[in-house]
Amino acid sequence: MTTFITRRLLQTLAVILVLSYVCYFLMTLMPGDPVDMMVASNPRMTTEDVARLKSLYGLDQPVYKRYGHWISAIVQGDLGYSRTYRVPVQVLMGPRLWNTFILSMTSLFVSILIAVPLGVLSALRPGTKTDYAINFFSFAGISIPSFWLAIVLIIIFAVKFPILPAGGTQTIGTESTGFFAMLGDRAIYLILPVASLAIQQIGRFARFTRAAMLESMRNDFIRTARAKGLSRRQVIWQHGFRNALIPLITILALSFSGLFSGALLTETVFAYQGVGKLVYDSIIGNDYNVAMISFVISVSMVLLMNLLADILYGFADPRISYQ
Amino acid sequence: MSSQEITLAPTQSETMDTETRQLLEKAQPMWKMVLSQFLEHKLAVAGSVIITILVLVSIFAGVIESVTGLDPNAQNVAHRYVPPFTTIETGTDVKETQVETFIHNYPADAEAIQQALIQKNVVQVEASEALYELALMDNKQAVGTLKSLNIPQAQPLIKEFQSFKTFHLLGTDELGRDVFIRLVYGTRVSMGVGILVALASALIGLLIGSIAGFYGGFIDAALMRVTDALLSLPTIPVLIVMAAIDLSKIPVLDFIVTSSNQSIYKMVLILCLFSWMVVARLVRGSILSIREREFVLAAKTLGAKDHTIIISHMFPNVIAPMLVSITLGVGESILFEAALSFLGLGIMPPTPSWGNMLNNAQELIYQAPFLAILPGVMILLTTISFNYIGDGLQDAIDPKSIQR
Repeated sequence: MTTFITRRLLQTLAVILVLSYVCYFLMTLMPGDPVDMMVASNPRMTTEDVARLKSLYGLDQPVYKRYGHWISAIVQGDLGYSRTYRVPVQVLMGPRLWNTFILSMTSLFVSILIAVPLGVLSALRPGTKTDYAINFFSFAGISIPSFWLAIVLIIIFAVKFPILPAGGTQTIGTESTGFFAMLGDRAIYLILPVASLAIQQIGRFARFTRAAMLESMRNDFIRTARAKGLSRRQVIWQHGFRNALIPLITILALSFSGLFSGALLTETVFAYQGVGKLVYDSIIGNDYNVAMISFVISVSMVLLMNLLADILYGFADPRISYQ
Repeated sequence: MSSQEITLAPTQSETMDTETRQLLEKAQPMWKMVLSQFLEHKLAVAGSVIITILVLVSIFAGVIESVTGLDPNAQNVAHRYVPPFTTIETGTDVKETQVETFIHNYPADAEAIQQALIQKNVVQVEASEALYELALMDNKQAVGTLKSLNIPQAQPLIKEFQSFKTFHLLGTDELGRDVFIRLVYGTRVSMGVGILVALASALIGLLIGSIAGFYGGFIDAALMRVTDALLSLPTIPVLIVMAAIDLSKIPVLDFIVTSSNQSIYKMVLILCLFSWMVVARLVRGSILSIREREFVLAAKTLGAKDHTIIISHMFPNVIAPMLVSITLGVGESILFEAALSFLGLGIMPPTPSWGNMLNNAQELIYQAPFLAILPGVMILLTTISFNYIGDGLQDAIDPKSIQR
């Protein structure tokens, strides 16, 4: 087990390194480097100035050398400086990461809470109206464009019936009103983003739960459990659901990648100050240091969650062994 | 569901009359069984009807344009955010300016029409004023008058007059463009991108999956590591990075930059890069199991080359599961295209796509909420249809669920 985790960790690290290089290279392919933008905003700059600035920033060197500088600075704990926000990147990242974490975890929690009972319900009554209805809503949830759902939610709950804020993270100035008032304020701002993220996840999870539950209820031990006179509830939850849980855990952990992707769109629509919005804003605003760090962090988080999924899988199903 | 059917089957056959029994025992071709099974899935059938309609719409977008007389790019600043089901008529002053430009551009034609108008005694003014008189008339009357002249020179002017009065089934957008015809052309772009990406990435996946599955060993390990790595990436951030790059900085891709639909090709290219992995894994899995079968050994013994074995003996066996993943892929590609276009990184305006029609919809939710609703409904309708078709196909080709 330990060797397996170590090997996978090393593999993940290698993938992150390769990807960060690829991403660094791609960033150089984006239109306009920092000096070009300075020239655009200051027409009095001479060509000598440009050349001097480019060598100062190291922009005249080949990509791999620049990448080497960048990565060695990262290892030493210097994440660089944001050109848009005029603060060091680590100052910017901390609260953003926390915000995204709250958003994704809340919506994950909400969607599991709703999707798992729905999936079990439709698996227990296959072919009935309930099953079809749940199936239809799951399909709708998977097929709906999340950003559009977010806009529709804003139209309904912020424009037509103005009961919830249309966007943002918190009301300005609530920090001074005490901890619980602030918490409540944050929660109100979370309702719509969480709803728009969760609806998609609910569809996916409900379908997976249904499939896993159907599969496990087909087993012979279910018939045995019934035959020996266990109550319906015990058969379903202790024998059926526990076996359906194994594939579900993997799906949940793997869905983190989708959650993170979806969070970018949701955060952008709701102007929620998370990492996803930061990735988007920094790429659009040519803020390379921020873009690189936030991209690498989001990729690493997803890869680590995948690793966690593999490990959890081993714990949930003792039949699987890692050599 | 399927297990119940299977357990029911023997009891049914006992009570069946000989005719049905013969019918059931007759060997049917695979596609017939799949089709009859597919037709049982009502929502999948409904989905295929919707998709067929949308494909027809995107093929005949040009015809729809000429029949309705609407232009997807015609801007009309005077009539922005017109609600659905409204007819708008251009003001008299604008009409007069248009007539003036017509006279200026085609003096000979204008002369002929003016003469005809005087001769028929439709207008009681000087020849040089005759056309302006038409602009003052009711639009329908003016078009009628021009048609009654029955001269070929009047055709362009008739068209001009017809465009003065337009009916907007779904209203107009922030530049006064007709939403209906933009949705029609958006169908063409979005469906085109979706289908193209699904097919192309299926081909890439087929190639990579079959190479990995057939040769195994180091090639397999390397290809599958790449596949896994790409599969585990958070799609949207990666796609944003890819979409933001400037293709003119990559010399190999010059042909895309110079073409007129650059953003569409770029979109297809980027989406293809990140959507072949599912098919590749699927194909690899099937090929791994097929590789050990006797007919492959037989083909090898007969001296068949590797590519013959892969193409003519293995591909037919992986087509069915691939079909499912292609259908699901179309819906997914449409969603990604819409998301990127919504963020302003996908299909570039003025080319309409469902995604970029939503691009500034968010700023307009107060003035014109319907602008934000319609394209999204189209996306939802299309992806849900493709997902249902995929679901139906999956059920249909699953041998366990086929009723015999």
